[in-house]
Amino acid sequence: MSRTNRPNQQNRNNRGRNNVRNSRELERKRMSYESRYGATREPAPKGTKAKFTLKMQKKLAWLFILVLLAFVGLSIRLFEINKEDSQEYKKQVLSQQEYSSTVLPYKRGDIVDAKGTKLAYSEKVYNLVIDSSVMTSKQAYIEPTISALNTCFGIDSTEIRNYVTTNPKNRYYVVKKQLTYEEISPFLEMQNDEKNGSNIKGIWFEEEYKRVYPYGSLACDTIGFTSKDNIGTNGLEAYYSDVLNGINGREYGYLNDDSELERTTKSAVDGKTVVTSIDVNIQKIVEKYIKQFNDAHKGEYREGEEGSRNTGVIVMDPDTGNILAMASYPNFDLNNPQDLTAYYSEEEIQKMKDEGTYYDELQKYWRNFCIQDAFEPGSTAKAMTIAAGIDSGKLTGNEYYDCFGSLEIGGHNIHCHKTWGHGNLSVSGSLEQSCNVALMYMGNTIGKETFMKYLTNFNVGLKTNIDLAGEARTNNLIYNVEDMVSSDLAISTFGQGYKVTMIQLASAFCSIINGGYYYEPHVVTEIQNADGSTAEVIEPRVLKQTISTETSEKMRNYLNAVCVTGTGTTAVPAGYLIGGKTGTAETYPRKQGQYVVSFIGYAPADDPQVVVYVVVDRPNVADQPHSSFAQEIARGIFTEILPYMNIFRTEELTEEEKEELRQLQILNSVSENSVAEGEEAEESTEESEEEEENENMPDDYTYDEETGNIIDPLTGYQVDPDTMEYVDPSFSAVGDITGTPSENEQQETEENNTSFP
Amino acid sequence: MAGRRNRNRKKEEYFFDYTLLFIVLFLLGFGLVMLYSTSSYEAALDYGDSAYYLKKQLLSTALGIGCMIFVASRDYHVWEKFAVLGYIVAVVMILMVLSPLGHEVKGARRWLRVGPLSLQPAEIAKLAMILFLAVLVCKMGKGIRTWKGFGLAVGSAIPICLLIWQVTNNLSSAIIIGGIAVLMVFVAAPDYKRFIGLAAIVCAVAALAVFLIVNNAKAQSEAAAADGITQAEEGIQSDAGFRGDRIIAWLDPEKYASDEGFQTLQALYAIGSGNIFGKGLGRSMQKLGFLPEAQNDMIFSIICEELGLFGALSIMLLFIILIWRFMVIANNASDLFGALLVVGVLGHIAIQVILNIAVVTNTIPNTGISLPFISYGGTSILFLLSEIGLVLSVSKGIRLNDVG
Repeated sequence: MSRTNRPNQQNRNNRGRNNVRNSRELERKRMSYESRYGATREPAPKGTKAKFTLKMQKKLAWLFILVLLAFVGLSIRLFEINKEDSQEYKKQVLSQQEYSSTVLPYKRGDIVDAKGTKLAYSEKVYNLVIDSSVMTSKQAYIEPTISALNTCFGIDSTEIRNYVTTNPKNRYYVVKKQLTYEEISPFLEMQNDEKNGSNIKGIWFEEEYKRVYPYGSLACDTIGFTSKDNIGTNGLEAYYSDVLNGINGREYGYLNDDSELERTTKSAVDGKTVVTSIDVNIQKIVEKYIKQFNDAHKGEYREGEEGSRNTGVIVMDPDTGNILAMASYPNFDLNNPQDLTAYYSEEEIQKMKDEGTYYDELQKYWRNFCIQDAFEPGSTAKAMTIAAGIDSGKLTGNEYYDCFGSLEIGGHNIHCHKTWGHGNLSVSGSLEQSCNVALMYMGNTIGKETFMKYLTNFNVGLKTNIDLAGEARTNNLIYNVEDMVSSDLAISTFGQGYKVTMIQLASAFCSIINGGYYYEPHVVTEIQNADGSTAEVIEPRVLKQTISTETSEKMRNYLNAVCVTGTGTTAVPAGYLIGGKTGTAETYPRKQGQYVVSFIGYAPADDPQVVVYVVVDRPNVADQPHSSFAQEIARGIFTEILPYMNIFRTEELTEEEKEELRQLQILNSVSENSVAEGEEAEESTEESEEEEENENMPDDYTYDEETGNIIDPLTGYQVDPDTMEYVDPSFSAVGDITGTPSENEQQETEENNTSFP
Repeated sequence: MAGRRNRNRKKEEYFFDYTLLFIVLFLLGFGLVMLYSTSSYEAALDYGDSAYYLKKQLLSTALGIGCMIFVASRDYHVWEKFAVLGYIVAVVMILMVLSPLGHEVKGARRWLRVGPLSLQPAEIAKLAMILFLAVLVCKMGKGIRTWKGFGLAVGSAIPICLLIWQVTNNLSSAIIIGGIAVLMVFVAAPDYKRFIGLAAIVCAVAALAVFLIVNNAKAQSEAAAADGITQAEEGIQSDAGFRGDRIIAWLDPEKYASDEGFQTLQALYAIGSGNIFGKGLGRSMQKLGFLPEAQNDMIFSIICEELGLFGALSIMLLFIILIWRFMVIANNASDLFGALLVVGVLGHIAIQVILNIAVVTNTIPNTGISLPFISYGGTSILFLLSEIGLVLSVSKGIRLNDVG
């Protein structure tokens, strides 16, 4: 290398003095150079004898200097960029990185019934997103991808092709929403196929959760539904929305101590599960009888209308205030709450949409009649009046009243429903016969202050604070003591003139029959974490004592009599003694023949375990004022839920009743004697349920006839029929929390507990 | 004196420039490492194989080294008779881009494709131009001193430049070829005034063009503002097409960060975030999908980001040494033809390196010029290595005794 340097050195020397040195010297040097070495050169090929002259070398040197200068200039530029904007550019680079942080959606918690059956849950679904910029990055991607989309999802090819070609840079275009994993898996398979899938590009699936209500319209008003982004609308979904919702996770980058970018994932916290006291089976029974009534009277008198304006039923446990079932009709499908095609034709819906009344109409269906609508309770309120009279000591229960069909109070002639009069009635008799005149006398004795004090005690006019969204305020719908005139008191005694909601009356009634304890009505009994552990247990809450235990016992006797000899006999189910009170209230404006008919009852008569309250608002019949419409619904509900709740029959069955129960499959076809009947009927229901389970059971498991357990033949372990997982007998109590055993299995696991101490 | 002659006769020592070979091989190796570093992320995303670009580049590098050895082992005078043929072939190939053999990549139709092979005719044209001009200047002899000779020599590049510009819409390659021609003639012709004049004219034209485009854009944006449309909504749309847009973006890249200025700005971010010693090899963040063409024209900015100023200056120093070696070889070449060949190659590499770094640092408007030996590109590496083969062949022609 040093040897080749020479001429260059010379060149550099030249450069050093170039301008001063005249060309003569250079020429001289060149001459001597050439004369010295030129002769030694090999003869060059023809035409290229020319030499690279010194002049050219000099110019090349100039060129080199120019290049050097350019490099120096660029180096300075590099320094500049680093010096001036280094910090800002560093930040820019990092901030760009952070844009790629992504949200990991949480899963909204489930709503389950008392037995763990899911009433609402969130299912992971996938949105199909097209990234045009990836898809169009190679011509070879476009057609295979479009054809894959067409075969897997039936998406119109030309449409996608048009979109992709017109928006080649768009990276986020949602084509299909809420696909299930089953729906997208054929596409994923196709995409992961080594051979053909490599050209399917630019499609990805955005995860999302979709709310699913497996029972559709069941308990729709009570459960409620969610709108976008997990915002609850109506019912439990709205009231417990915060509990059900979790916290979104995030995948993001951050800077560590060395200012290096690190990526981390903060996983989402799933929402909590809400365990309700609703029992799906009871709810189903309730809705079955509401539907039956509705179908029987649909369009009967008022053409094109349902069986009633509204039909509401509450089934409650009087000893805890827990709601076992709550239903109202008309209902709607929770999975599709915006859809009213079950009630209206397409044209009608379109008309409502055009007029802008569709949303108002939807609201009518979404309303929970049981807690949101107030009405005059009618005669069912007489129980409260008499309870107030006896508890305050104003009545002894030994009074007798004469009813001549009407009574003049404060200048108004107020009629009894029996226009020719009931004659002479005791306190009990006036409740049995639901005599308005006797009640007006009682009201006069009780006085408006005491009456209103007790009414407030029964929470009339106050919210019950049930844990459902949208409970109505009724404080303006009752009388003010100061403004109350004698006729107001008179009609109030039999439940006219003031308004209540169903839940108010049901809760008050529970306290009348349960010994005087007013429980706050409640739907949710427990809140569980996403992993199934208990987060909070909501115990029954006694708010106050409305009446004494003695008064309550007396009231039970009166109310029992109503269903034996009084107006409530229609509601009595076969084989049981119940208590209750009927109600028929004329709606406002009066004298239109419009009535709200109702029945509130409890069973068994001696030890109330369940209260059923049925309200039929303006039944669609010519002759409305008959509580039998409500009583028939109540009877049907009682007939089926009492055996289901393991409440034994105490009364003899007539042949007719046996036949009825056989048809309902409550009774075996073999006739039984009355005492054993109860238990055996129990067993028969269990057996029929077990048989159903049996059918659903996979073949490879054996079914133990004696205990009803399902046994894995390979291991001999008991298997949970819902999850098909082993149940460890020694820890079978765990099954109550984690699994969803039906009542039968709960009993069975209890049996197992005794046999495996 | 006499002793020397005797020695010359005894053993004919020939020179072989190992320094040059070493630098070229080092740049190739370094280029492959950097190519893998910059392209692996996107290659894995797009092709499912992080070494996708590396493999392709390795193949063309191997092929190129084969070519280099072949060319270096032949006497460079062999190629003299291919000069005219090369020129014609280059022209035909450029025109063939318009035929069905032409292949479009990212909206630019610049490639010829036969089966799995694709070729960029512009790269062939560069080599053809160097060879053609070297022969032409040698043929002219002293004729180069006249205006006519000068015009003929520079003018011979014009058809190819125009074809490349217009047919393949590749202004940068046209500029490079024009530049090579001018540099070769500059070295060969004794005159200075003409070149200073030429440089002045080029500068003036460029400045006028920039001035007109900027004025035009201003007028447009004012008109747009009067219509109530902000410039950001509309993007830049000057009458001068995408080149005009690039010039406007060049003057203020941050204003057009989302469209024309995007690549430049991302390159600047990469350079600026590198500091003295960089983030470390493989630790670039900008290559993760932010800097378009990271493995291609913009590879130098990733070098700056990963290896810092130190790495960048080292690479620039290597190129300077390379160019210095070219100069040494040209100065000592046994004849004018060889020397001119080397000057052509020198011009080619120097122009590309300078322009590439100038683009990356936003010193000149954005135009697609790759960094020799380092950027991804098969045809480029193949023909660059062939040119190095030519230079090595010329260096072999130097007899050490000549140099003394």
